[in-house]
Amino acid sequence: MKSALAGCLWLWITLVIVGAFLYAPSAEGFIGESSRILFFHVPMAWVSFIAFMHAGVASILYLSKRHPRFDNSAAAAVEIGLVFCILATVTGSMWAKTMWGAFWNWDPRQTTIVMTLVFYAAYLALRGAVQDPERRATLSAAYAILGLVITPFFIFVLPRIGFTLHPDPVVNTEGTLKMESRMFQVLIASGLGFTVLYFWMHNLRCRVQALQERDEAELEPELGSMGSSMGNRHRSSDRSDEVVEARS
Amino acid sequence: MLEGNLGWVVGVNVVIWTGLFAYLLYINRRIRDTENTDG
Repeated sequence: MKSALAGCLWLWITLVIVGAFLYAPSAEGFIGESSRILFFHVPMAWVSFIAFMHAGVASILYLSKRHPRFDNSAAAAVEIGLVFCILATVTGSMWAKTMWGAFWNWDPRQTTIVMTLVFYAAYLALRGAVQDPERRATLSAAYAILGLVITPFFIFVLPRIGFTLHPDPVVNTEGTLKMESRMFQVLIASGLGFTVLYFWMHNLRCRVQALQERDEAELEPELGSMGSSMGNRHRSSDRSDEVVEARS
Repeated sequence: MLEGNLGWVVGVNVVIWTGLFAYLLYINRRIRDTENTDG
């Protein structure tokens, strides 16, 4: 990322922080200032959703083009998405403690976010369990594509089916927007800022992965030649053993 | 009184965000240097 663009991102999110606490009013019907967590909790959940969808799309591209770049992109998206998903869960629990009196209530939203977390943690476990890079990429791509269907169901459908204590989402079940305009401005600005931050982090992760793979590719011939010289040494020691046996 | 408290919260949040941002910039620079020197 260019320094000027990075500077703009720093300024943007700094303004979001200032706006979240000093510009936007506190929402009615919430205890104290607890509603202000909305400006961070919702964008974090949003970014985790974007990341999981990004992983699914990158996986489709991997299966169609078979380029390892797409596999790395999907893995990076899931890693960062999980971080944001954990942060959304933690901030949600902090808010639940203030509003509902307990960190965890097995509310449908809390349950589905945990199911999403477990689903994508299993994706990383799957990647860790398969040694062969091509097989690992194919299996994890199929898994991430399954996530493309399951994640919207977990996040948008399942919590709306039964009774939930969770406040209505930004665009509520009636399809209308019931939010004070300054709150909405800060929320949208925060969502934009966090989305750009996600793509920057994703870019950094992919570049690190590419550098690691390049290093491994450079090391492979050296290790191969070392391995063959070790093999020769073994062979020569075998031969010397044979000579000793013949002499005796 | 409340404004003052929220001012503190803003200050702490901005410091944390600046630290995270500086770390990302540092990683970005290191990756760019590695890409340029090796490749």
